[in-house]
Amino acid sequence: MKSTSYSKKVLDHFRNPRNVGTLIGKDIAKGTVGNPVCGDLMEFTLKVKNNRIQDIKFKTFGCGSAVATASMVTELAKGKTLDEALKITRQDVADELDGLPPVKMHCSNLAADALKAAIKNYKEKQKKKHSEKKEVKDPLKKEIPGEKEFLGKGVYHKVIEPSLLKEKRILIQDKGKESRELAETLARYSPRVVLLTQEKSKNVAANLKAKLKQSNVKILFESELVGILGLNEVEKVKIHDLDEDNTYELFVDAVVI
Amino acid sequence: MNVYLDYQSSKPVDPRVIKAMNPYFNELYGNPSSLHSVGDEATEALDKSRSKISGLIQAEPDEIIFTSGATESNNLALIGYALKNKSQGKHIIISETEHISIHNTAKFLMKSGFEVSKVPVDHYGQVHLNKIRERLTDNTLLVSIGYASNEVGTIQPIKEIGRLCRKKKIAFHTDAVAAEGLLALDVQKDPIDLMTLSSNDIYGPKGLGVLYVRKGIRLMPQIIGGGQENGIRSGTENLPAIAGMARAAEIVMLEREQEAKKLQSFRDTLIKEILKNIPRSYLNGHPENRLPNNAHFRFDGIEGESLLLSLNDKGISVSTGSACSSKTLEPSHTLIAMGLLHEEAHGSLELTVGRFTEKSDIESVIKALPEVVDRLRKLSPIY
Repeated sequence: MKSTSYSKKVLDHFRNPRNVGTLIGKDIAKGTVGNPVCGDLMEFTLKVKNNRIQDIKFKTFGCGSAVATASMVTELAKGKTLDEALKITRQDVADELDGLPPVKMHCSNLAADALKAAIKNYKEKQKKKHSEKKEVKDPLKKEIPGEKEFLGKGVYHKVIEPSLLKEKRILIQDKGKESRELAETLARYSPRVVLLTQEKSKNVAANLKAKLKQSNVKILFESELVGILGLNEVEKVKIHDLDEDNTYELFVDAVVI
Repeated sequence: MNVYLDYQSSKPVDPRVIKAMNPYFNELYGNPSSLHSVGDEATEALDKSRSKISGLIQAEPDEIIFTSGATESNNLALIGYALKNKSQGKHIIISETEHISIHNTAKFLMKSGFEVSKVPVDHYGQVHLNKIRERLTDNTLLVSIGYASNEVGTIQPIKEIGRLCRKKKIAFHTDAVAAEGLLALDVQKDPIDLMTLSSNDIYGPKGLGVLYVRKGIRLMPQIIGGGQENGIRSGTENLPAIAGMARAAEIVMLEREQEAKKLQSFRDTLIKEILKNIPRSYLNGHPENRLPNNAHFRFDGIEGESLLLSLNDKGISVSTGSACSSKTLEPSHTLIAMGLLHEEAHGSLELTVGRFTEKSDIESVIKALPEVVDRLRKLSPIY
């Protein structure tokens, strides 16, 4: 997208975003929308007092208009009652920014949605309702299409000699401690190691995440391996994103199940 | 400040080329097809230019077909060859990282009853010969693999692929646009049957491309008319542009080696300094086997369009493989084929240097980048 096709206001909010950051505390409500795997990610944190949004902050991973719309939504929402804030639409956000390029309207949609998610989170907290827990299925029980066909040809149940996977792109299905350690080991031999887990990011210990990040292992949270594809050996896998409920392909050379 | 590091997208025309083109607008304006002396002058200029351009790749002059650009050359190579030779087979092989004009032309051929296989690449974006070999069938008609990636700069094993195709009596096409002017292209040494070139990529004018067609290779014309270019591509020749490209080719033949050395030293400085100065930054593409003008990075936690806009604010023009900057909102298919996750492809930055790049341009981007990346990471929920 050409920067010249953004309005002055969009560029201003991109260059000087308002209310960047994360509010911390027990009474803080959080709303996240989007997924970095397939596009933009937006996160709002709210502080509510007397049913009014007293403070709001955002963080975003996304294009220029994603930053600008998130910034604008914080300005629009601050000081409003929850009901008023829920009425903010993507059109409102775009209008306040003097318009958005048509192809970018999805980004401003995201900002309004993320705000709604944060408000919903607040209301749920008030009702002391806990969000339902997703049942984590045992990945061992299910055979994955392609698993048998490519066994020994890129699909491994055990890695005895990690150096044989040197320079290969490796996907490891998370089965707990053992597979996480294997991921770390393999990352010493290959620049591309991806750990696939059904767990949510928040359920994985921060120090473990930091450790894996340090050793250059990518983690795909809330994801399920649903297929292994190739011609004579593994060439790519199909991954189901449980959060977004979409399936996409990732090019790899080896899969450890 | 105006720093241009996007030579892969577009190049300025060399002033020496403009000078060579000038007479062809209102002095030597004849049509090579005319029989009078004004037309004769044009024919002579056309022949001379064709000869100079053929020298760039060690081809014969009559193996050079002028087109409107690399996209048309790629269309003519694939569709023209497939339709003309379909009695011999209906299977075509391309790689996952081809230029979009190859991908979409292959898609068109699939709709027209041809079968297309895509060869995967490794994490450097390199094609492996065995991956081509295992896809060959008795029905395979044509293999099309780009000389080097226009995005990440990885150079393909063209000679080996050409030899494999020659042995199996399969035609081999390569889109050499990303490599021309940078690498020594030689259709005598390398068994290449069809090669796409573009004028602008050697600092000539836009709107002119070349398809090299080895003698004996037959194509079905895609533009029908007065039978110019041996009947393969009709239409009055764009003589000012052709004369310009001929001059551009001459300059390449004289200066390529020295220029490539200079560009490579810029490239290496960019790679070294950026990876050193920015934590969690990575080089995309092959560390050694890469075009001398290309430095391609990704940065954890940030998105390319935001990066591009921020650098633009500082007067620095660059490219990204991010979805948000593309018309389709899809991330670069090349980066995905290399095994990158969408979020990683989003955070990519392509810097390409060229003939008019100066040391100060390199210093500017090295200085500006850490601050810009840092600011965007502070905004990012995933860093």
